[in-house]
Amino acid sequence: MLKLDDVVVHYGTVAAVKGISFEVDENEIVTLIGSNGAGKTTTLAAITGLHQPSTGTISFEGDRIDHLAPEKINALGIAMVPEGRRVFPQMTVLENMEMGAYLRTNAARIRHDMEEIYHHFPILKERRSQLAGTMSGGQQQMVAMARALMSGPKLLLLDEPSLGLSPIMTQEIAKIIRDLHREHGRTIVLVEQNARMALQLADHAFVMETGKIAFGGKADDLRHDAKIQETYLGV
Amino acid sequence: MEIGLLIQTIANSIAAGSIYAVIAVGLAMAFGVMKMANFAHGEFFMCGAYVVYVFYALLGWPFPAAVLMSIPIVGAMGVVTERLIFRPTRSNVLAGFMATAGLAFVLQVLVGQMWGVGLMRSVPTPYMGAADIAGAKIGWQRVLVIPAAIVMLSALWFFLYRVKHGKALRACAQDPDTARLQGIGINRMTMLAMGISGASAGLAGALLAPIHPVTPYMGHGVILTAFIVVVMGGMESIAGAVLAAILLGFVHTFVTTLSDAVTAQMVGVACMAAVLVVRPQGLLGRVKA
Ligand SMILES: Nc1ncnc2c1ncn2[C@@H]1O[C@H](COP(=O)(O)OP(=O)(O)OP(=O)(O)O)[C@@H](O)[C@H]1O
Ligand SMILES: [Mg+2]
Repeated sequence: MLKLDDVVVHYGTVAAVKGISFEVDENEIVTLIGSNGAGKTTTLAAITGLHQPSTGTISFEGDRIDHLAPEKINALGIAMVPEGRRVFPQMTVLENMEMGAYLRTNAARIRHDMEEIYHHFPILKERRSQLAGTMSGGQQQMVAMARALMSGPKLLLLDEPSLGLSPIMTQEIAKIIRDLHREHGRTIVLVEQNARMALQLADHAFVMETGKIAFGGKADDLRHDAKIQETYLGV
Repeated sequence: MEIGLLIQTIANSIAAGSIYAVIAVGLAMAFGVMKMANFAHGEFFMCGAYVVYVFYALLGWPFPAAVLMSIPIVGAMGVVTERLIFRPTRSNVLAGFMATAGLAFVLQVLVGQMWGVGLMRSVPTPYMGAADIAGAKIGWQRVLVIPAAIVMLSALWFFLYRVKHGKALRACAQDPDTARLQGIGINRMTMLAMGISGASAGLAGALLAPIHPVTPYMGHGVILTAFIVVVMGGMESIAGAVLAAILLGFVHTFVTTLSDAVTAQMVGVACMAAVLVVRPQGLLGRVKA
């Protein structure tokens, strides 16, 4: 479904992503893990069009999407839950969700999807008139996820959804990600520093180190790999 | 101050505040979406006054029709400005400043070339006479500004809070990259913001044309006030701009009545400074995370 081939991304003259390739198949969860500054967010920025790659190709459902603007890429069915949530703080929960559906026109389907999303995030229905900027970190994470889902995406990108959340809230978010995957067969790219959570959820995993993919494989295999356990799972 | 003069001064304050509000929301809106200050905003105001001069005074259209014409005409000027000046200089603050300041001069010269520089263009007052409120006389033309501002600001509020594209405009002002990730086209939004911005300045100029000397340089006095209002209100905050506009309308009008216009300008700047000392983010501005 999504394919990156030798993608290089620069900030000025410095390469933050130094030629990475990986594929995401339909209905699977793929995780990118790695420590601070490894280039995970930059990789997602290249996929969403916020930061275009200098070389390499990115294709989605067989068509090249590198060099498309972010608004065009969203229209193709890729939705992003950004690092740090990035809710629209001065807008209500409901307005945030409406923005997620900005490009859609079928009001009946939008309403249907909204109810389905509320089923995953009941608190958002309760709080729909609250300004998103006044909510707790975990609730803002839910707003950001709900907003992304409102576009009815084929591919969902999540950038460190557990960042700054309590262990309980992290578990709740993890459960929602699992439900989204199980109930709707959603295709998800999950970027995480919390490797334990990510490897439990994902089908495939790639480990990024300083702009490159150090290794990758089935998430279950990585979870039991001695080196991964030592470096990323703190065993 | 005797009671008649007091009522008259209050009414004039509200009228001045209404006009400041209509001008300043346009400036705040453009700043919110583009993070750029448009130094030609006063010239949009001036062009609005010339629209009324041309359609009403020269061509003999009804006054309300001439005023309404200012909305599409100056709004279109805002859109063209966005396309030709703001967009190419978006990443460069200094270039943007130079370009909009340059545009201000260009518009002054163009208008001066077409309709003359020396003599003021006088626009006949369409609504003669004055309202009589408890013995105070307030010219109808000045009173008219108040409902016009209320209608314009309500329409803007409705658009920003009830219409999808208006909400998208707010989203762009709050977080442009994240707005793009929702499929909101940033270029269309900046054009929309500049269209509204130009239209609001033009409308203000059009309403004032019969009671304000119409010259190519009439934007000068307005731009300073508009910036004071926007800074005081909190840069991007539309509600803050309206609040600050009303406050400044009272300050300017009362000080002018009791003393003179120059002192009023100075007191206005002092008010802005005082607000910024107490609330650096402005009256209703928010602190950046
Ligand atoms: N806007 C930017 N300008 C310049 N350099 C940047 C910018 N954003 C990121 N970098 C650099 O690019 C590298 C990769 O950063 P990136 O944010 O992609 O890492 P990450 O894996 O997402 O890290 P984290 O887990 O901390 O979010 C880092 O060295 C970072 O300092
Ligand atoms: Mg990151």
